[in-house]
Amino acid sequence: MNPLELLNLLKERFGDEKILEARVEDRRLFFKVPYESAHEIASLLREKGFDMPITMGGTDFPKKKVIEIFYSIWSSIHDFVVTMKFDISRDEPKYKTFIDIWPGVHNFERETWELLGVEIEGHPRLKLLLLPEDWSFEEEGYPLRKDFDPSRYKRPWGDEE
Amino acid sequence: MSHDMQRYLTDPFQEITELGEGLFRLNIGPQLPISGQGRFLVVTDGELVYDIEVDIGYSHRGIEKILEYKNYIQGVVPLERMVMLDTSNILMGFVRAVEDLYGVEPPPRAKYIRTIINELNRISSHLYALGLFAESAGWNPAVFIWTTADREPILDLLEMITGARWSHSFFIPGGVRADLPNGIKERILDTMDYIEKRLEVYEDAWIYNETFRLRTEGVGVLPRDKAIEWGAAGPSLRASGVAYDTRKNEPYSAYPELDFKIVTHTAGDSYARGWVRFEEMKVSIDLIRQAIENIPEGRVKKTLPPRPVKQEALARAETGRGEINFYIYTEGRDKPYRVKISPASFRNFFVIEQLPKIQEIKLADVPPLLYSFDPWFLDADR
Repeated sequence: MNPLELLNLLKERFGDEKILEARVEDRRLFFKVPYESAHEIASLLREKGFDMPITMGGTDFPKKKVIEIFYSIWSSIHDFVVTMKFDISRDEPKYKTFIDIWPGVHNFERETWELLGVEIEGHPRLKLLLLPEDWSFEEEGYPLRKDFDPSRYKRPWGDEE
Repeated sequence: MSHDMQRYLTDPFQEITELGEGLFRLNIGPQLPISGQGRFLVVTDGELVYDIEVDIGYSHRGIEKILEYKNYIQGVVPLERMVMLDTSNILMGFVRAVEDLYGVEPPPRAKYIRTIINELNRISSHLYALGLFAESAGWNPAVFIWTTADREPILDLLEMITGARWSHSFFIPGGVRADLPNGIKERILDTMDYIEKRLEVYEDAWIYNETFRLRTEGVGVLPRDKAIEWGAAGPSLRASGVAYDTRKNEPYSAYPELDFKIVTHTAGDSYARGWVRFEEMKVSIDLIRQAIENIPEGRVKKTLPPRPVKQEALARAETGRGEINFYIYTEGRDKPYRVKISPASFRNFFVIEQLPKIQEIKLADVPPLLYSFDPWFLDADR
């Protein structure tokens, strides 16, 4: 299967209104789905041989008031990467975990939880991974959000002015 | 017996914590002879290991956030602080992603120079990893001293080409900073002959040594299906029988024009992971020889156009520890809007945590098991 064939298969199965902003490149397929059908489509991808998660994360869009989550999965059978994206609300950022479909996203989801402030329902171990133990989300916020202000962290030796 | 119990209830910084029912939690780290800072929390009853938890994040520098404030050329410098040993391979993923965004193809000569530097870096990274692997299995400290000393000629070569032993900042989006210096070809070929001769010494003294094999064979077996499911990367994946190498499967630089094979092993144990690294060094030597013989003439860099042609790119490259990939989203400015880095060690640490769930591991086997994955905390922390 190549990226174009997979895209046609997905469109046939779920219809044009669910597979949005699709883009086919060399060994890549990007597309966006409504969150409601994300798990269903993910299960189909897993069935079709997309078994190894290679990256996962999110992008903050304060103006659009959404956080865009993406999952990039490589297939050991078809040897290309499919990137599935979906939007979740920025005011109430939460979605259901994908660990049951791809166990390898465990630490990536943990990282997204702490750095972007996305509540991941059903994740077994939402515990600080990269941030320090005394990090306070109320005071300091989520580092990868766009409203995070890094200027509050001064260099220990003083700023050059 | 549930081994997830009471995981975080007691003081995590205690060296040994009694968990009850004869179980103890042992704290390995945070100062480790491998790179950087990180901890392994091992739950054991004195002999068998029930659980390994990897605690990373001690050197998190927020490189993904820093890159949002730098343009693509400035971003090169903080980025390569991720892994000082293997900087050019880390950078390769980034420059590939940026070139993809801008629709720029580097000149052919630059591609060959990149290949040579990437492979030199890979040999130096593997030598270091194998030295530590040998040390963890009790070959202390002879092999580590040999491999560290044998990295020196490679670092000298890198210094001649790029001006720095480590952190060369040599790759920029659109090419490389400078052409090769005069007389480098003979120097590279001489060094490759030297390294090849040294690898024969290692073979006799250590990698095919019966004692070493007894110590590492059958330790921490990672089956093929689990390696894929958990997302193992690099030599750890290839040692489990998955013939996957970004250099071959997603060809970049001069790799599609050079002739090489993916090194794989079917056993999936600690020895196999070390063996794959060892054999990959021979492949690297061969690749460097081919590249230096066939290098074309011409320019070595191109300027980027003012605006990117795409909004997002996902680029992959093979570092010494395995695949690194960069997801870059841009809104058309000279800076990225979001960069997501997914390094190999980050994925391999998750695999290490899962291993005790599928097999019996003895406490004495933990060091070779950990080191066979070549874990690098600075890589995982970003």
